[in-house]
Amino acid sequence: MYRILVYIGVALLLLGAFAFGVSLWEGPTAWHTDVRTFWGIPISLFVLWIGLAHAGTLISAIFLALGYPLGRRTSMVAELSTLCSLAVAALFPLVHLGIIENFYMVVPFLDARGNFSNLRSPLVWDFCCISVYGLVSLLFFATHLFSEKFPDLKKLIRPMAWLLFPLVLWVHTIVSLDFAVTFVPQWRGAFFPLYFIAGAIYSGLALVIILLTAEHCRVRVLEKLMLGLSWFMAFFWLWEFLLKGSFSFEVVFLGAVVPQLMWLRVIRENAFGRLLVAFSVLVSLGLERYILVTPSEYNAAEYFSWTDLGLVSFSLGLFTTLFFVFRAKFSSLLEGEDVVMGEIVLQQDESDKESEKVTLPEKNDFSILRLPLLIGVLVTLLYVVWAVSVENTNLAPLSVVNVAPLCLPLLVLVACFTLCARPLWGISGKRVKLVCAVLAGILGCLAGAFWAGGSSDVSSGVVSVQEVDSPKTVEFIWSSRCASCHGQDGKFNEKFVREFYPLPQKLTPVRLDTLGEDSLVKVILDGRVNMNPYRGRVSEDEARGLVRYMRHLAGEGE
Amino acid sequence: MQVLWGCRRLPDLSGAKVPEIAEFEREVRLALSRAKGAFDLVQVPMPGALDVHGASSLNRFGMAIDLDACDGCGKCILACMQENNIPLSSKGERDAGRFMHWIEMHGGAPAMCFHCGNAPCEKVCPTGAASHTPDGLSTMMYKRCTGSRFCGANCPVGARKFNYVDSVKEGLARKFNPEVPLRSKGVMEKCSLCLQRLQDHKHTQMATRPGVEWRGSGLKTACSEACPKNAIIFGNWLDQDSPLVQEAKHRNLYVPREIANLDPSVVYMRGRR
Repeated sequence: MYRILVYIGVALLLLGAFAFGVSLWEGPTAWHTDVRTFWGIPISLFVLWIGLAHAGTLISAIFLALGYPLGRRTSMVAELSTLCSLAVAALFPLVHLGIIENFYMVVPFLDARGNFSNLRSPLVWDFCCISVYGLVSLLFFATHLFSEKFPDLKKLIRPMAWLLFPLVLWVHTIVSLDFAVTFVPQWRGAFFPLYFIAGAIYSGLALVIILLTAEHCRVRVLEKLMLGLSWFMAFFWLWEFLLKGSFSFEVVFLGAVVPQLMWLRVIRENAFGRLLVAFSVLVSLGLERYILVTPSEYNAAEYFSWTDLGLVSFSLGLFTTLFFVFRAKFSSLLEGEDVVMGEIVLQQDESDKESEKVTLPEKNDFSILRLPLLIGVLVTLLYVVWAVSVENTNLAPLSVVNVAPLCLPLLVLVACFTLCARPLWGISGKRVKLVCAVLAGILGCLAGAFWAGGSSDVSSGVVSVQEVDSPKTVEFIWSSRCASCHGQDGKFNEKFVREFYPLPQKLTPVRLDTLGEDSLVKVILDGRVNMNPYRGRVSEDEARGLVRYMRHLAGEGE
Repeated sequence: MQVLWGCRRLPDLSGAKVPEIAEFEREVRLALSRAKGAFDLVQVPMPGALDVHGASSLNRFGMAIDLDACDGCGKCILACMQENNIPLSSKGERDAGRFMHWIEMHGGAPAMCFHCGNAPCEKVCPTGAASHTPDGLSTMMYKRCTGSRFCGANCPVGARKFNYVDSVKEGLARKFNPEVPLRSKGVMEKCSLCLQRLQDHKHTQMATRPGVEWRGSGLKTACSEACPKNAIIFGNWLDQDSPLVQEAKHRNLYVPREIANLDPSVVYMRGRR
């Protein structure tokens, strides 16, 4: 069964791989865009898959936190689907970028030259929230997966669920802000966060229902929830229609009318009936995201190019392959243990029985969480204070409001890792510890490289400016090229230079004489730390002249 | 490593096909024939000092476009292309309705970036590539741009242009002006208010008349220089002697409704008062 599904996944993946390759190679022209649409299919797929990625954690974490635990297999399937959807979702913003290798510029981390990403932008919030969500979900899944083997981990699951609960809602709120904070008339609406969260849970439930059908199992509470959410979505679509007059028949029919078939026993009791409804919900939500991202007028003939469809197929194939490969891998890994996810039994609602005993959050959960939460809050506070006080070279100073969207993800990240660090360190073997240490080292190196920024080598293609006929005195070059930083009098333009760290040293006569003329000429031509290279813009003779002029200025100051 | 850390090389023009000037003229005529709809204009007061961090109290550069004088000849578009090395658009781009022109005709009047003081594009740029200068220019740092196109989606008047194709490789770019770099594929660009002219003017003054405050007097952008009817007036909104203020204070000023409360630096003039 799983093998067939993996084959289907690989087939879809290969069908779409060409479109994916073309998108990477050609960039944003590969898919359908027009005058008003800058974004296109990758962002729609991103929003769709990030929505699908929410149901897993919702189902296992929120249900667990609220004392409504589902069967272990249901939760594990849901969590695995979260991770796989996240992996798919994370690809598309990268595909979307015009210059993919520059994606790191979005990380809100200062580098040595004072470059800092713009924390006002929802894209930066998005990047941070989703990376944190991915990391925490992975940790949650791993803890859950190994909790059978190591009972120590069992007591971590509920506290982690409490941490994930707000994060899930937060992340999708941030995704909705990508649209809601803009000036595009079609994307306006203060209800967008709720609308997006409802849509995400709705589509995610449909996905989990499909995956559970593949397990030959059904969980009624999820079906009821999905039916309830179909009314929510119908309400939001009506609201949108009243507000903006936009309405799509396909979306409403597939997303709000077809799910009502679940009221019929024939459909509900039949696996194919459930699949039909769930797929219809997914198609509807996918289409809805596409229409949302494309603010131009609806024009069905031009709506999809073959690359668009190829990318859809690629995402489906990638998810199916990833999910079922891991599904098969983990069931064989844990075979012989307690029944985990492996068995294939036609069963009715193991969850409904379990859910009858509603438990209140235990006091224990909070006492475990106290210290990690405290550390999380402290780290978050430190980050906020730091980010607000960063002297940025080209952007206005941030206010606390700009950093606020990052607070919860940062808090949850720190708290989760603090929570899990001790128990995980206790159970992990020597090899895992070594790998962790190496990973930490690599991470440190990367952070250092990030901080240092790119090389200041002159790129080979610099076009030299034509010589102007008028005689250029050294003073003229100094005033036009150097004075903006070094000051007209050679004593630094304080206002500008204080942005650099470490502060450049004063060019006193002693220092200039120690460095020597030749090496200073080299610095002017090739650059050094904060000094930009001027090769191609000043000749070597001019550089030598500048060094002497500098010496003259420094001597004057004495 | 160089590619990984974003030090992209400047395009190498040697060997690439370079288009004739006639092709640029042809494309401008094509763009004129496909002019976009007119803006819904609303009246605004004269732009004052900027309300952004670190704004200069001396300079706020801007332009006024005289709708009574403009006859929509399109010479400004061509001049802008030659000043700023704007590439031609490929066939696919034209079919999608896109031109790289920084100036476009909206209902017979030229429109470029309005350099809003409270610019929506700058707020959503994730990397800070779109930022404001103290002199009131909404600028682009091409090397810092990742091409997320968020700014383009958030510009209410659609003034931002994205480099969908590698114009150098496709033989669509021509380096008319050595002072302006050619933009690589995948970055956003838009009207810079002829930043390079401002820079040159400032540096020349700093070198020749050090100590004198720079107000940019006597400077003109490429479009205002090229306009046969003198319908585009460039100047400094904060300098009472600037031709811009001298002219605008006797006229009614208008801007598109979508950006009326974003404090634009470029306005339309119509009628006398």
